[in-house]
Amino acid sequence: MCIPDKNIYKPYLATIENIIDETPDVRTFRLVFQDEAVRDSFSFRSGQFAEYSAFGYGESTFCIASSPTRKGYIECCFRSVGRVTEALRRLEIGDTLGVRGPYGNSFPIEALYGRNLVFVAGGIALPPLRTLIWNCLDQRDKFGEITIVYGARTEDDLVYKHELKEWQERSDVNLVKTVDPGGNSDTWDGRVGFVPTILEEAAPKSDNCVALVCGPPIMIKFTLPVLEKLGFSDENIITTLENRMKCGLGKCGRCNVGNVYVCKDGPVFTAKQVKEMPQEF
Amino acid sequence: MPKTITNQNLQLLIDTLLQAGTRVVGPKRADTMVLYAPLTTGEELDLTELPRRSAKETFFPLCEEILSYEKKDGKTCVTDVDLGKLPETVLIGARPCDSAAPGILDAVFSWDYNDEFYLERRKKTVIVGLACTRGDDACFCTAVGYAPDTKQGSDLFLTPVEGGGFVAEAVTDKGTTLLAKHAGLFQDQAAVSPLPLAQPQLATLDLARIKEWLDHNFESDFWKEIAVRCVGCGACAFICPACHCFDINDEGTEGKGCRRKHWDACGFAKFTNHASGHNPRDVQPQRYRNRIMHKFKYYDDKFGKTLCTGCGRCIRACPVGIDIAAIIEEIGKK
Repeated sequence: MCIPDKNIYKPYLATIENIIDETPDVRTFRLVFQDEAVRDSFSFRSGQFAEYSAFGYGESTFCIASSPTRKGYIECCFRSVGRVTEALRRLEIGDTLGVRGPYGNSFPIEALYGRNLVFVAGGIALPPLRTLIWNCLDQRDKFGEITIVYGARTEDDLVYKHELKEWQERSDVNLVKTVDPGGNSDTWDGRVGFVPTILEEAAPKSDNCVALVCGPPIMIKFTLPVLEKLGFSDENIITTLENRMKCGLGKCGRCNVGNVYVCKDGPVFTAKQVKEMPQEF
Repeated sequence: MPKTITNQNLQLLIDTLLQAGTRVVGPKRADTMVLYAPLTTGEELDLTELPRRSAKETFFPLCEEILSYEKKDGKTCVTDVDLGKLPETVLIGARPCDSAAPGILDAVFSWDYNDEFYLERRKKTVIVGLACTRGDDACFCTAVGYAPDTKQGSDLFLTPVEGGGFVAEAVTDKGTTLLAKHAGLFQDQAAVSPLPLAQPQLATLDLARIKEWLDHNFESDFWKEIAVRCVGCGACAFICPACHCFDINDEGTEGKGCRRKHWDACGFAKFTNHASGHNPRDVQPQRYRNRIMHKFKYYDDKFGKTLCTGCGRCIRACPVGIDIAAIIEEIGKK
């Protein structure tokens, strides 16, 4: 039994059930909790994150990238760029890692019922939205039109390639995929251009619509004015902030933006909330 | 009638506690400086100067194990630290600027989720505070709402008196119990004259006004002016009774080891550095701004308390002479 009772820093143990290489350096793990009681009781909402540990190396923070509608497992998606993520990458199917969470707030999915949704993501920032995309698609009749604008530097850098294909083939999803100029091969069947530009061209209607945006700071910076131009109010633009975290519990003191603690008050914020924060992210 | 205790009996109290298996932490001379450390005899107690480091280690060690892990026959097992084994502790001779700190830190370690590592130590510790009669130029406890005779946080409070010895006042039930248990070491004495208290040079500050300026001046050239010489050594945070930021890291191999929680500091360049290389606090003035903001605004916003007891240690320790008291005094005049 490894259920944390008193020790809030103690992770659950999980087995890697499947590994998918999304890009040359981005990998998805499908994880199953080893303890049956945890497997049954672990619940989370789209938008929440967890601390994943490679024993001997430490912990790293990623969102829970799978949808809570898919029971029995969770997925995370990470790029190997540091000590912990390199160690995670060396793990194989059947190996054990630690998971603490879920932490943070979540997307207000109930408030999105009946609305049209535009998902805008760049690069490795699709996973935080992908949990919500599947959450919505798994209860498709509760939502209006669903548009997904997703881009990466190159075709290789697109994550969830198999799911992009699935979304492309669905008639109830409008997928607009793009790569930065120069990032496409001769067989590329998507658009070419930066995400904000392609979003402007796709011009989703802002009526009864909520935009959910996740991407590198530079993409966010250029995407918000486009959404504004398309008529989206700051309350109807929802994004996530990603800051370095350690505890995930509002104690270790590093993820704050002004007096807002991303691990507790976030990671999901409206553009209105983000604009009210000190510009320190 | 006030209770008093002689210097000799205070040492005897420590010896008695030690014999009973209690851990006693108090100011102790180590080479050239006095530090709070576990005492092995009452004689080691040295109340002549303010310990160089704060007493926060008693509750929040510099580095502590939070779990261990082992991989055996392909199966990983995680084991908790047995907090039940933490010793009953008496922190003796804590200056008011140190005894007041746990009262501030309790908020962050117990809101929303309880950090049992901190809270168990708190529960198992009796704080015997000491009125401060030896301040220096860097002290400013009165300016942040405390005083050389603040009993806040102490369970039992000692006030030095003329001719040696102390008046002993129980402040909490824990203090009353300690006093009652060792009643034979205390005397009833009507006429005592306490030694004059330390008098901080910076006596008062308008903390509300300082916070108001901070509320509106996240962007200000002031931060560059004050922090341009900060070298990011982190000494101010490590030596501070109220700084509590920490990191979590593993020590050991993939097969066997432990996970540790240890002090960190917002002055360090990598404190907020993202894996991508992006750093929200990219330059030192942004980091120093966070230090001031956290102490005098953010913590107040969240918990209604200032994250500073005015001990002045960061002023004494700073290698480049950054003076937090002067900085907030200047902010108060803006």
